[in-house]
This record gives sequence, structure tokens and C-alpha cells, in this order.
Amino acid sequence: MIKIAQLLLLLALPLLSSAQTVDDILSKVLTKLNSVKDYKVSATIKANIPMIKILPNEATIYFKQKDKFKVESKGITILPKQGFTDINNFLAKKDYIAVINDTVTTGGVKTYLISVIPNSAGGEMILAKLWIDPERSVIMKSQITTKSNGTVTTSYTYGDQVKYGLPSKMVFEIDIKKFKLPKSVASDINKSSAEKKKKIGNKGTITITLTDYQVNKGLSDSLFK
Amino acid sequence: MLLKNTWNEFIKILSKPRSYLGVGALTLLIGIIIFAMKADGKSIISFVTASFEQTLTFNGHILNGYLIAFIILQMLIVHVPLLVALVTGDLIAGEAAMGTIRMLATKPISRTNIVLSKFIAGAAYTLFIIIWMGFLALFVSTTIFGTGDVIVLNSDGLVILPEADVLWRFGAGFCVAFLSLLTVSSLSICLSAFAENSIGPIVATMSVIILFTIIGSLDVTVFDTIKPYLFTTHMVSWRSFFEDPVPWSTIRQSVIILVAHNVVLVAIAIVRFNKKDITS
Repeated sequence: MIKIAQLLLLLALPLLSSAQTVDDILSKVLTKLNSVKDYKVSATIKANIPMIKILPNEATIYFKQKDKFKVESKGITILPKQGFTDINNFLAKKDYIAVINDTVTTGGVKTYLISVIPNSAGGEMILAKLWIDPERSVIMKSQITTKSNGTVTTSYTYGDQVKYGLPSKMVFEIDIKKFKLPKSVASDINKSSAEKKKKIGNKGTITITLTDYQVNKGLSDSLFK
Repeated sequence: MLLKNTWNEFIKILSKPRSYLGVGALTLLIGIIIFAMKADGKSIISFVTASFEQTLTFNGHILNGYLIAFIILQMLIVHVPLLVALVTGDLIAGEAAMGTIRMLATKPISRTNIVLSKFIAGAAYTLFIIIWMGFLALFVSTTIFGTGDVIVLNSDGLVILPEADVLWRFGAGFCVAFLSLLTVSSLSICLSAFAENSIGPIVATMSVIILFTIIGSLDVTVFDTIKPYLFTTHMVSWRSFFEDPVPWSTIRQSVIILVAHNVVLVAIAIVRFNKKDITS
């Protein structure tokens, strides 16, 4: 009987240690993200979305804790609705269950694939999958599934701001199945029904290259109004 | 003599109250659209971008003068033909109704040149309408709303054109829109040559436009062979300048078909007017 109990304990040990590691890993990531009180960064936004034609655009992105976010651009820019502040906010609440699913190599970096599920069903987020580099405590890839916005997968590349957990490049993969054009506005009598029905893909990408970070320089609240 | 008679025809157009009715109606319509956009433009824009905004956010000055000008052009290009036909449909039939056509024929000018002078005067009026529309749509809109990139919705999706790349598209778009309206003008002059009163050609012109537009918008394969030859199909060709890349071959085809329509319609009007019995 004692031997069976010891065996069960032995089997459960990795799970227990895994649970501690998950909290530890996420806590380190969150600490790093929270070390950024504010930032200003220049962004080059390149969208490759089947139903949207737009040239690459320059913008300036401002962020201030905890969820103030602003994009300034000369022209029209397209950004994903989620992926900038929502992971920080979600992890900061600590109202979730997290488990390590696997160890995966992403972008040549060994990462832990961690699934994060919110405890309450009332929030917008359904599931977050995070690929975390335990060495640098940064998110290398994320897959966020929300109730209203579907699933957005984001890959992160880091440069000299890795100490703050701020990426130098983000690639968002967006689900465009929900995109619909209002028929009355989009009707084009020059195109036959066969032309209109040509198949388009289900995924689009938005690549944001971030340069010239100015971190913790103190941004005024009035900037975000 | 042709130019002198054209000038006389243009003065006749200017002397008719209906000529100003069209300009007034156009001014009022554009004023209403600009007011509506100022009052509730953002909700109108979100009607177009709603499904995209579930996943994406659009940042920047979206509701700008260029977008308003595009919307105005898109809305009014359907209605402006009526304003053009109202004037040009009267050019020959109006003279017949008033009995001045006999006096006109006594001038030392051929009947062919009479029709041509009426066509040129009608074209000048159409050009004025387009320039006025362009002035109101572009100048007034950009003064009120400022400038910016343009979001255009077509059947393939959204096209976002940079501000610096927009003005030439408007210029070219207005040129093709002028050619479209010139076709309406030629059609009404042609029909005018067959009529003895001005109401007939105006109503007939609008009926033809409505009929062709309905045929063009019906998604029935049986009409696919005739659709490319209907001038109404090519009346929206100005929109092609707001695609990326610009479909030059489609535009070229549209211009050829519209020019061909103008030539044929004016030729029919000349033949008919030369054979027209104005003595009885």
C-alpha cells in the first residue's frame, strides 16, 4: 500500500513541479512586461489580407500602463484588434488556470507551450496559448481565442528591447472567414457572378516592425485622449 | 459658322430656367450629402467596415474630403443623367415644339452642322455640370473634412489608397464620368431628333438608362453577352481608377464603347434631322 502511494507520488511529482514552473514562468513574463510603464515606438505596418489592399504605412504607437494605447499615423493604418495589451491585462488579473502542454522549438528557440484558460466565463477571452522562452522570459508566439474576434496568432521577434519584453517585430495571423462585404455597397455590375465568387484565402497577416523604442520616458495621460 | 451656331446654342441653354434647375438640384443634393456626412458620417463608414472591425481596427483620418467626394460621385452618377437629359433632350425637340426649327433651318448652315452645334453645346453644358460637381465634391468636401487616404469598397474588398495617389484618380475619374454623361447627352439629342416635344426624349432617355441598368445589374447569364455593350455598364467605369492596380484595359474598353455610342448616336441624330420634315 505504501509502495503504491509512493509510486503515485512519484508519478505526480512532475505535474506538481510543472504547476509551479508554469506560475513561475508566467510571473517572470508578467514582471518583465510590467517593468514597462510606458513606451513610444515607430512602427512600419504591412498588411497582407486577402480582402484588403493597403500599402505599407508608418505609424507611431504609444502605450501607458495599464491599458492606454494609441496609434498615430499620417494615413489610414490597419491593426489587429487584439494582441497589444490584452495578454498583459489578462495575465495581470491572475484569474486563470495554466498548464504546460509541451516544449516546442519556435523560431529556433526552445519554448514551453502553455495553455491559459480563464476561470470565469464572463470575460472576452476563451483560451490563450503562449509559447514562452523560459531563458529570456518572453512570449515567442501566442494564440488568443476570444468570443467575438475569433483566433489571432502572433509571432514575436525580439531585438535590443528584449530586457523589457518588447518585440522588434510582430506578425499577426488573422482569421478572415468572418469578413463580409455589404452587398448593396459592394455591387459591381462590371463583374460577372463567376468573377465575384473567386476563391480567397481564410488567413491574412499583419506584420509590424517596431523601431526606436522610447521606454519609460513618461507619457502624459492627455496624449491618449 | 459651326462655332458661331454652337455659341448661339449655348446661349439658348443658358437662357432656359431648366438649365439652372439642374445646377441648383446638384448643389442641393451635394449639400445634403455633405451635411449628412458631417452629422453621422462615422456610422455610415462603420456600416461598410463593420465586419472587418470585429477583428481589425482602422486608425487615421478615415472620414475625409476625398472619401466624401468619392461617395458623392458614386451616389450622384446615377441621378445626374436626368439633369443632363433635362436640358439636352430639349435641344432639337424644343425647337420643333416652339416652331423655331424652321427659322433655324433658314440660316446659312447645314442641318448636319446644326445637330453638331447642338451636340457641342450639350457637351459644354455637361462639362460644366461635371466641373461644378467636381468643385463641390472635392473642394467643398476637403475644405470641411480635410484630406486623407481613401477607403474604397468594391466587390473584391477594401482598397485603401494613399492621399498622394488620389487626386489624379479623381481627375481621370471625372474625365470618364464626363464621357458617360456625354453619352446620355448624345442619346437624348438623338431621341430629340425623333420627337416633336421635349418631354418625350427626356422620359425616353431615363427609361433607356433605367432599363439598361436593370439588365446590367441582373445576375442572369443570358444577359452576359449583351452587358459589355450597354453604355450603362461603362458609366461606372470611373470607379476603376480607384482600384489597385488600375485595370487599364477595362477602362480603355469602356472608353472605346462610350465613344462609339456617342459617334453612332450623333450620326443617327444627323441622319434623322437631315430627313426631318420641318415644313409641315
